[in-house]
Amino acid sequence: MMTSKITPKKRLLDVLNKKATDRAPVICMGGMMNASIVEVMNSSGFTLPAAHDNPDLMASLAGAIQEQTGFENLGVPFCMTVEAELLGSRIDKGTLACEPKIRQEAFGSVRDVIFRDIDEMLESGRIQTVTSATAKLSQTYQQLPVVVSMTGPISTAASIINPMAFYKELRKNPASAHRILEYVTELLIRFAARSVRAGASVIAIGDPSATGEILGPLMFREYAVRYLNILTEAVHGFRTPVILHICGNINNVRTLIPDLKADAISTDAMVNLAKLKEDFPGITTMGNLSTYSLEWGTPHKISVQTQKLVNDGIDIISPACGLSTSTTLANIRAMTRTVQGE
Amino acid sequence: MSDNKEQTFFTALSDAVLNMDEGTVEEIAHRVIKEKIDAYRAIENGLVDGMNRAGQLFEDEEYFIPEILLCSDAMYAGLNILNPYINREQQRTRKKVVIGVVEGDTHDIGKNLVKTLLDAAGFEVIDLGRDVQPRQIVDAAIAEHADVIALSTLMTTTMDGMAAVVQILQESGQRDAFKVIVGGGPISQTFADRIGADGYAPSAPAAVKLLHKLFKDSIYV
Repeated sequence: MMTSKITPKKRLLDVLNKKATDRAPVICMGGMMNASIVEVMNSSGFTLPAAHDNPDLMASLAGAIQEQTGFENLGVPFCMTVEAELLGSRIDKGTLACEPKIRQEAFGSVRDVIFRDIDEMLESGRIQTVTSATAKLSQTYQQLPVVVSMTGPISTAASIINPMAFYKELRKNPASAHRILEYVTELLIRFAARSVRAGASVIAIGDPSATGEILGPLMFREYAVRYLNILTEAVHGFRTPVILHICGNINNVRTLIPDLKADAISTDAMVNLAKLKEDFPGITTMGNLSTYSLEWGTPHKISVQTQKLVNDGIDIISPACGLSTSTTLANIRAMTRTVQGE
Repeated sequence: MSDNKEQTFFTALSDAVLNMDEGTVEEIAHRVIKEKIDAYRAIENGLVDGMNRAGQLFEDEEYFIPEILLCSDAMYAGLNILNPYINREQQRTRKKVVIGVVEGDTHDIGKNLVKTLLDAAGFEVIDLGRDVQPRQIVDAAIAEHADVIALSTLMTTTMDGMAAVVQILQESGQRDAFKVIVGGGPISQTFADRIGADGYAPSAPAAVKLLHKLFKDSIYV
């Protein structure tokens, strides 16, 4: 059988390169959608919040998650505050069961933003933690893809400037909004470059503050599509594919999805991915098992829902949103084993 | 002052709020004072009317969050000028809402929007911010003599905190003192029913409508 010969890394890269494979990969991209559930942390002893700051612990926890859940990738980091912290926001590192978040944005308004030298910034902060963990993981698990998850441009901007002030600026003062987005996108590109150099096989982007529901179609096109594509094309320049997760309901920006240059589009649970695929056959779809089911459902129910995604021809199977840290391993395994045909 | 002329001012205020035009709102508000037009009615029929129209456009998906925030700024610019001129008899105690995002969530955009629209609809809103623990929410609601506890979440990870709020209220025998309403991306009516909330709203304008329904259209205590 060919099945046993293809490595999970090749399978994921093949799908992202639109090549035929034996079956869909089942992955969990990390970042805002990490699988660092309490059960894995307790059994492995590699715990958060310590693993946010320590590259060895970060790699060990990512490895334990992969081994215990059966997800066919390693995903780092376990939060979406790495970039904002570097840019000056105050971060609450959270607890074992509670993810880090922005305690206080660095700037109250767009006018207050201090533009710093990006190369200098890259030498400090947790980008080093992530790239060093990535290097370890890519050496230890050569058959598995390491996915480095980054916070998208608008979400990063809305994490360093008070989000309400930033959203208003998008409408009131496009020129200064663009200047901020160019700045954070440049930082993200260099973060991606370092991750790829460290051994990342795939760059994943989550941009939860840049949804059609929040921005509407016009601003989604002007700001979200534009900067996501600049970032994506830069990563393509590093010969690395990009997965993009879009939060929430995509109805009002549906027709803009084909304009996104990411190699796979991941969506939330309320989006009918089979229909999206039917409407836009060129899109590689990823998702979208309800994290509500994963937390509250039974293994049997999860298995049935996962099988439906597989039968629908969804290209990459993954959770639809951030996993609750109290999700059980049994439920996640029901998902991964169903895809793996066990 | 003829009703017609008054109405012209009210319409201009309403339009300026709808058009996100803070400067024009301020200019007309000052003229309302100068012309001795009733400030209370200028707020209700002008500023609040404009904000309600903006809420409708949001529901119709013509306005989105940036537009609503700018309309809200324009409304508040007018309120700051007109509020000192309201007669005391016109000031009635309004229903009070404590609103917060349950501990652990990433951001609070949805909550801010609900707050803005509830404010505009005339409720008194106490914003507890984001990352609030269930116990803190209950304590604040009791201390503030609130009528409503409004909880918002963005992620499935923090839905347990909503259930905890209802549970704390039940255990302390205070469940009936408050209406508890929930909303946010991963929330559904089924979830609201399961945790024993009084209502679920899928969007910010729906939250306003929900409270109107729960209180039979009276925002006053």
